[in-house]
Amino acid sequence: MSDLRTLLGVGEDHPLYRYRIPVGLLVLVVGLRPVVAHEWFAGYGQLATSMLIWMVFVASFNLLFGYTGLLSFGHAMFLGIGMYVVAIGVSVFALPWLVAAVAGVLVAGTVGYAIGRIIAGKGEIYFAMLTLAFAQAAYFVVNADPYGLTGGSSGLTQGTLPTWIETYRGQKRVVLAGMQGEWYWLVALVFLVTMLALWQVVRSPFGRTLMAVRDNRQLAKSIGIDTDRYQTAAFTLSTMFAAVAGALMEINSQGASLETFAINTSGDTVLMAVLGGVNYFFGPITGVFVWLFAEDYLTSFETLHLPLAEFSTVSVDLSGLLNYWAFALGALFVLVVLVSPKDGIWGFVRGLTERVAARLREVTR
Amino acid sequence: MPRTVSQGLAEVRARVAGLSPGWLAAGLALVVVLAVALVTKPGLFVDNAIGGLVYGMILVMVALGLSLILGLMGVVNFAHGALFMLGAYFAWQVVAAMGLPFWAALAVAPVAVGLVGVLVEVTVLRNIYDEEPTIGLLATFGLTMMLEEVVRGVWGAAPKSFELPAVLATNTSLGVTQVGTFRLFMVGVSALSILLVYLLITRTDFGLTVRAGVQDSEMTAFLGVDLPLRFTAMFFLGAVIAGVGGVLRGAEVGMGPGMAEKFVILAFVVVVVGGAGSLFGSVAAGILIGEAQYLSTVVLTAWADVTGVQAINVGGLEGLVPYLVMLVVLLVRPRGLFGEEGFLE
Repeated sequence: MSDLRTLLGVGEDHPLYRYRIPVGLLVLVVGLRPVVAHEWFAGYGQLATSMLIWMVFVASFNLLFGYTGLLSFGHAMFLGIGMYVVAIGVSVFALPWLVAAVAGVLVAGTVGYAIGRIIAGKGEIYFAMLTLAFAQAAYFVVNADPYGLTGGSSGLTQGTLPTWIETYRGQKRVVLAGMQGEWYWLVALVFLVTMLALWQVVRSPFGRTLMAVRDNRQLAKSIGIDTDRYQTAAFTLSTMFAAVAGALMEINSQGASLETFAINTSGDTVLMAVLGGVNYFFGPITGVFVWLFAEDYLTSFETLHLPLAEFSTVSVDLSGLLNYWAFALGALFVLVVLVSPKDGIWGFVRGLTERVAARLREVTR
Repeated sequence: MPRTVSQGLAEVRARVAGLSPGWLAAGLALVVVLAVALVTKPGLFVDNAIGGLVYGMILVMVALGLSLILGLMGVVNFAHGALFMLGAYFAWQVVAAMGLPFWAALAVAPVAVGLVGVLVEVTVLRNIYDEEPTIGLLATFGLTMMLEEVVRGVWGAAPKSFELPAVLATNTSLGVTQVGTFRLFMVGVSALSILLVYLLITRTDFGLTVRAGVQDSEMTAFLGVDLPLRFTAMFFLGAVIAGVGGVLRGAEVGMGPGMAEKFVILAFVVVVVGGAGSLFGSVAAGILIGEAQYLSTVVLTAWADVTGVQAINVGGLEGLVPYLVMLVVLLVRPRGLFGEEGFLE
């Protein structure tokens, strides 16, 4: 972004540049819902809430993949643990939601730490496939409905919402201590807090050490970094952030579903992060936006009117073809991996703005 | 990478001789646990032992290709499960849609799967051998997604199955129980395929150059071996074995789009348990996991009957058993039963 920065006359020390990530997150939170709710896009605001929750989750995954270089193929397990612990805590043990959420984060962290201890330092492929195997094992456990807690394949829906959530015509409102607010803004608040925490982690000495481990494990080891320990710590931390997203998703989707533990959910996470660009803080955010938007848009989109809906001369029925949109997405994914696996869409956009800015500077000089 | 059977057996013998008393006791306990189950429920035990062997053989067929490609090219081919799945669907196409005999499917479908494998190797994998291993995993994951969508588009998402040939659709008596002839046939075909792969790698010049390539690819290429050609050939071979496994599995229990991911994960578990880089390990671990999965239920019911404590008989454990075996092996012997040190670490 150096060209863009010089073009705008913003120096390296300018607060807008130094705090570009918090500013960007704030702009995102304020701007996301009006954009998504516009009739040209999804047409309804609830999608924005899901997007924010997914963004927290995929960003937690990226702390692991993008910043530590560990590919986890079972990350949805921790989203699921967050969801299920909260759902069980609220519905079975009648705990306050906040207590259940903290418990969920702690359980996820404990499980993450145990798994991390076993598989850290095993090599990248081992790590990826072993996380997948553990996730698969977790799926079987949840599906078997131990002690009647998890509800097996039907999941948990009864009594899983806290009392301070009111649902009216599919819209959720937060009613707390006599005050009313929209569910979106509570999610946005948690989103900001967790994303800023992640940002702090990434730019702290700890985060820089993780990047050193990612870039060259041998070198990191030889300068005295206990790489296995740092990998375990990163894994534990990212599982806890994932559980935060899970606790929010429990309210958003009114309960916990077994589908969260399925391989597809973990796979989607990897796809979203890589499509968005794992090298950048905003990469996963972009990935989630594009993915959820494409899913919502393409599956509801049936007929292509050319040139415009009101003045259609040619109408193409695409409903049959768009059922298989995952094929196109898979092809795009393979292409991204082959061409530039770390940059993704956000990297492409960044490169583009940089080139445009460089060109503009030449013209205006 | 590959070792001969005699070497493997010698290693087993040496290990048993060097075992600590604790391990010997654990081994004895296992024998007692199994013996009680065999004596109290002989029919069920043999049934499940054969079921486990059949399932284990299928796992070996998938794991073998995965292990070969991993050893040779350093890539975990996630799409290997999708190739296995294609084997089953191609067989359905030949038998149920075209009305040809099962034997035609057994001959044609694996070769077709092999050709798909070659296509995958030439278009995608060949470009990323020099990249980090995770890139290969990501790319083949995307390919799996595409292949699954193709299967969904062409054959639909509903489970499918086809008729067995009359010769194999009978039962064979084994004294204590009746076993489907087809299951015995499956074991025979799988054992034969595994043996052929094994001989190809250990007894031919082709296998020799491949093994040399695994040990030191630079030097092997230096000596005039066309390694890319061998990579493609091995990929074809791996895909063909997976295809044979797919045909057999499809004929036995039918097929669905979910089998790709399920089996590639299980096959990787087999490779991890057997030890990456060891073909003998993959075969042993595949059978071990198949048997563990099928016998665990018999053992639990038998012991629940013997002791009278019904709480022992935990249901729904079958799916979890492979992962439990893996967990135990990883904790006790992190590089797998027959794994080589430093491989993929």
